[in-house]
Amino acid sequence: MNKAISTRLTFAVAILSLLIFIILWQVIAQQGLLVKNFPGSFKTIGSLIWWVSDPFFDNGPNDLGIGTNLLISLRRVLIGYSLAVLVAIPLGVLMGMSKLAQSSLNPYVQLLKPVSPLAWLPVGLFVFRNSEITGIFVIFITSIWPTLINTAFGVASINPDYLRVSKSLGASKSITIRRVILPAIMPNILAGMRISMGTAWLVIVAAEMLLGTGIGYFIWNEWNNLSLENIFVAIIIIGFTGFILDQFFGFLQDKFDYSI
Amino acid sequence: MNKKSSKISTSNKNYSHLELVNLGKIFFKEKKFIDFRSKGNRSGFEAIKDINLKIEKNTFVSIIGPSGCGKSTLLNLIAGLQAPTSGKIIIDGQAIKGPGPDRGVIFQNYALMPWLTTIQNIEFALNTVFPAKTKADVKDRARKYLRMVGLEKASNKFPKELSGGMKQRVAIARALSINPNMLLMDEPFGALDALTRSYLQDELLSIWRKNKVTVVLITHSIEEALLLSDKIVLMSSGPSAIISEEISVDLERPRDREKIEQDPTYLKIKMRLEKHLLRETRAVEEVT
Repeated sequence: MNKAISTRLTFAVAILSLLIFIILWQVIAQQGLLVKNFPGSFKTIGSLIWWVSDPFFDNGPNDLGIGTNLLISLRRVLIGYSLAVLVAIPLGVLMGMSKLAQSSLNPYVQLLKPVSPLAWLPVGLFVFRNSEITGIFVIFITSIWPTLINTAFGVASINPDYLRVSKSLGASKSITIRRVILPAIMPNILAGMRISMGTAWLVIVAAEMLLGTGIGYFIWNEWNNLSLENIFVAIIIIGFTGFILDQFFGFLQDKFDYSI
Repeated sequence: MNKKSSKISTSNKNYSHLELVNLGKIFFKEKKFIDFRSKGNRSGFEAIKDINLKIEKNTFVSIIGPSGCGKSTLLNLIAGLQAPTSGKIIIDGQAIKGPGPDRGVIFQNYALMPWLTTIQNIEFALNTVFPAKTKADVKDRARKYLRMVGLEKASNKFPKELSGGMKQRVAIARALSINPNMLLMDEPFGALDALTRSYLQDELLSIWRKNKVTVVLITHSIEEALLLSDKIVLMSSGPSAIISEEISVDLERPRDREKIEQDPTYLKIKMRLEKHLLRETRAVEEVT
């Protein structure tokens, strides 16, 4: 009873705050308080409805529906991200288990991790001569570090009791990795994958401004059209998609949280 | 060294299942990169030294000593989880080289895998030790051992849904399911409250009566050692702990926890153990 009221109240407050925001935005834009010709919320919402009502049209590369562009971006992210995870998990396990692997690979990880993945874009273009593969490559580089580091940390800090049980039963290395270490570090892997996905989704927008097609290119294109309201539409859609992706990993993390 | 265990160790009828010969363990500091050039003279922490012990088949032996005396190290060595620095561990006449399913190990913190249900925890052990067994076989066997510890109904629960006592019963079932002939227990009831501990001690005794195996129990509880054991091994305070005494507990079985406390033999041994532990603990506390 009490809880129901409080959820309803939270919901009401959220709606109210949204309404106030929309009205303020409209008023500020209409009065030209910020800059001249700044699009108001009504115009933006109108654009949003227009783009969402027919999301998948295709009138050539500079005039694609927002859904089409979104799917192009998602595809690049999912391919680059999946490849990164496939590399990061085994490599992370190796780094966590072997001192040799740790000390030979860690310098590269520490050196490359703080570099903006966009710095790799020209490298990708030079090597692959293909903007599609370059996009995937940049996402790959982006996604690899958080998952790799979290996996390695998970292995290094695994509860030694699990390993002792496995050892006392005479389990082989392969059984220990597959049936003890990997399930034990699932929470770490998922935490890493969640951060990787978040960063990948941030980076794809910037990368696509330089690569053509995709939701990032859509923003660049609308900037060339000087259509700020369409850029706001893209921002809303990018934010919403990122939120859904993050929630998905939140759900997975809850599933694999052994402590509760 | 005054050996009080003459009665057991001189009888030739029982051959020794486990024999520790001049066993010692030194923990060396991890080699730093800079140390590679300096050979030898590595200093380390000597946990135990010159441990000689014979344990007869199907007897229940407790190892007791002040905290930090290397009891757990000793158990880890017998389990094969660590390698000794010196000496040998002989089981059934053969020096051991590592861990093996002939020894079931029970840890203080239960060490159940939290991502597996109760029955899956036991199945993991069975699948690891008997890879040739069929799925149905493994399930049957796991169920049988869960029934033995009275947890058949909890077979699909996860460890987090169980009490400490239930978790330890699952761990006992897991250790016994692989059909070991030796059970190694490292303070298995140390983390439990007094009532649960008593209950589990009785459970363990009744299970042991039905499935005779050699048991090595590490404990710091005198009462527990007296209630359960045929022989109590006393360790001195560490570092470089040694076995200071072996006492055989000639109390009739089955033992009743209420009656046993009136027994003059019980009281006599208890007093001796208390005196020893107090002296060794004092040695630990007053050094630092």
